[in-house]
Amino acid sequence: MLAGAWEIYGRWLDNPLLVPPFSAAVKALVADVADGTIPTRALSSIQVLLVGFATGTTLAGLLTVFAISTRIGTDFLETMTAMFNPLPAIALLPLALIWFGLGAGSLVFVLVHSVMWAVALNTLAGFRGVSTTVRMVGRNYNLKGLRFVGRILIPAAFPSILAGLKIGWAFAWRTLIAAELIFGVSSGQGGLGWYIFESKNQLNIPEVFAGLLTIILIGLAVENVVFRFIETRTVQRWGMQS
Amino acid sequence: MASGATRAAKSAVPNAADAGPLLDVQGVTIQYKTQRHLVTATYRVGFQVLQGDRFVVLGPSGCGKSTLLKAVGGYLQPTEGEIRLKGELIARPGPDRIMVFQEFDQLLPWKTVLENVAFPLKTTGTLSGKAAQERAMDYIQMVNLTKFAQSYPHTLSGGMKQRVAIARGMAMEPDILLMDEPFAALDALTRVRMQDELLALWDEIQFTVLFVTHSIPEAIKIGSRILLLSPHPGQVKAEINSVPRGQESSDEGAALGREIHEMLFADQIEEAPHARYGATAEHLQRNAGAGTIRHHPEAADAG
Repeated sequence: MLAGAWEIYGRWLDNPLLVPPFSAAVKALVADVADGTIPTRALSSIQVLLVGFATGTTLAGLLTVFAISTRIGTDFLETMTAMFNPLPAIALLPLALIWFGLGAGSLVFVLVHSVMWAVALNTLAGFRGVSTTVRMVGRNYNLKGLRFVGRILIPAAFPSILAGLKIGWAFAWRTLIAAELIFGVSSGQGGLGWYIFESKNQLNIPEVFAGLLTIILIGLAVENVVFRFIETRTVQRWGMQS
Repeated sequence: MASGATRAAKSAVPNAADAGPLLDVQGVTIQYKTQRHLVTATYRVGFQVLQGDRFVVLGPSGCGKSTLLKAVGGYLQPTEGEIRLKGELIARPGPDRIMVFQEFDQLLPWKTVLENVAFPLKTTGTLSGKAAQERAMDYIQMVNLTKFAQSYPHTLSGGMKQRVAIARGMAMEPDILLMDEPFAALDALTRVRMQDELLALWDEIQFTVLFVTHSIPEAIKIGSRILLLSPHPGQVKAEINSVPRGQESSDEGAALGREIHEMLFADQIEEAPHARYGATAEHLQRNAGAGTIRHHPEAADAG
């Protein structure tokens, strides 16, 4: 339906520089996928994204464990999340460029920033929501410290943690594309954002749409395949869905 | 199955060597702070649990019975007095005293029934790998849940969840099983069935259990000995030998029920000067092992 409307509007407008028809966008998409342009660009985006996502999640984990074990940690995390959560990660890009230069380093820095607070906030909320009974059960079996966190708190708080990861992922994906639009050169190869930017500069508007479609498709795939898979394997099977 | 039976036989033999009580609670006062008040949950409570006892702590809400159980579990420290298990002062929670809670969420939802029962065995290093699985299966079979070993807790009914929790506690073969109103959240029919099953399990393995409840019939049915607590703050009112097994609905059982009811509700203990209660623990010890009903004079004459 939407594609049909787009196609008709595109043809009626007859101005491929403004809105190329849907078929042109798909054609461009197929052509650039076939010649390997889009796959390499997407891969380069995803690589940076994974590094940033993994680093951000790890840092969030460390921060949350620190937060639940000490009073200072709690205060620190609460202050930092209150400060940084409303700040769009992309706003830090100029600073990152000064600190880390043009390259993957800066991208990873903003990605970490976009992932970390969302994940930390949700994980902390999840940990706090673990029932007293479950905590007492864990302590009954001599579980303490990190073993307690790993065997009791993390699985018990997993629904919240997963929600945090999903939000973190969505933030990271948006942030990455935005960052790439501003500067795309990462490890010698631009990502999808840069691909869109380049195509626009060369007035290859169907390619711009092809790039947008790719971003949508990857976003949907991660949301509906990767996260759905994790969900059915964990919280759904455990009956822990809120 | 066979291994379960031998183990049952082994643990049925009481520790005849140490003649002392398994659990010794002496003059325990527990206080905790709320935002405004210092609440005294129990005041100089003392009792002794012997090997193989089905010891019931009975009292209305507010008598600090759950708090007392948590202190035995090591989750709380008494402000005064001491709790010893096999002569050792209780300082922290430990797998020698497994708690069974009232709440259904005591099972770990991310683990199957089998994994839940095997979990404490593995994490405490009691058994590992296959041995843990086998022992877990033995106890799952004892609570008749073999068919559900691979199910996740959320697919089970309340009664089944409590059976898993009991199996998990018993699989650890703790010195004492601490049960905090484990059947209170169940419907009446299931509760009666669970009580019967618990007694049947006890017939099989004479484990020691400290059972907290507010239900008089449940106390008479489950307990071999009953400790009556009066509320605000929790104080020992009497320690009673229950009627013999299966006699709870006889005349004798009914009479005991009435008597307990009267003791709990007839007279309200007044706030008494502390000195009067100093004798409680001592008195208890003097009478330890004595026959039928022992009123505490302090409590009895207070009304």
